[in-house]
Amino acid sequence: MILAQSLLVGFFGAAAVAFGVWVFRTSSMMRSALALLFSQTALGAMFLAMQTEFLGVLQIMMMATEMSIMAIFMVMFMMDPGGLGEMDMSHQKRLAIAAALVATTLSIAVVILVDWGKPTAVPPGAAQQVRELGTELLGRSMMLFETAGVTILTAMIAATAIAVDGRPYGKQKPAAAAMNQQHKPPLDEEAQS
Amino acid sequence: MTAVLIVALVTGALLFGIGLYGALSQTNLVMIMMGVELILAGALVNLVAFWRFLHPHVYAGQMFVLIIMTVMALEMAVGFGIAVARFRSRGSVEMEEARDLNG
Repeated sequence: MILAQSLLVGFFGAAAVAFGVWVFRTSSMMRSALALLFSQTALGAMFLAMQTEFLGVLQIMMMATEMSIMAIFMVMFMMDPGGLGEMDMSHQKRLAIAAALVATTLSIAVVILVDWGKPTAVPPGAAQQVRELGTELLGRSMMLFETAGVTILTAMIAATAIAVDGRPYGKQKPAAAAMNQQHKPPLDEEAQS
Repeated sequence: MTAVLIVALVTGALLFGIGLYGALSQTNLVMIMMGVELILAGALVNLVAFWRFLHPHVYAGQMFVLIIMTVMALEMAVGFGIAVARFRSRGSVEMEEARDLNG
């Protein structure tokens, strides 16, 4: 049982890391979004293998939705979502690689050097986990839970307020007005018509 | 069991490193957000592993996981709001062109 759990956790962990690397290796933005979706789903499967059923299912459901929305935004905003132009959209690569290597090495060193004590072999059952988490949410952590809910509401309103362009047509800022102007037919064509 | 805990924690460290690389090296706002998502995913793995293997009877640990998931959703919502505003005003979400957050 422990061997099977170790193998599954290792497999899904490796899959999550491999898909995470793929996110920044591919030139197609759609593939990047899908790779991130697979990476997060592999993490959800890893949680399931670690016998944290509720969190595993929650992770898979949330991330499937989030990454699907991200893929839609990729198509909306990217000049080349299919990656056919092989555009390089990165900068300061050396600094980024150095920072990532230092952070990862330090983290792994801490993981290996610290004495974690004796881990628990058998966690509470799935039903008990959900029951106890519900009691925690509506008991000791209720204020935190409610704060998270209000924060989500605030973020939804803030995101909508930022995204909505309330200015009437023709009174936008110069860049937006210039963009709109590009889509208008030239003056002489207007005169002919 | 210690081996499984270490595998989970190393996975978290690797995801954090990959996410940090992405957040620092990418020029596109949506790709930067993907890097931040991976950083938060690394934190998520660590929290789940700590709860599962070290303190499975302290459910405040699972509460932390829910908070991190909330932060991931908030980051996406606000990030896409900013992306829409920038795309509307500047026609691009390339962050090399962003000197300030003024839409």
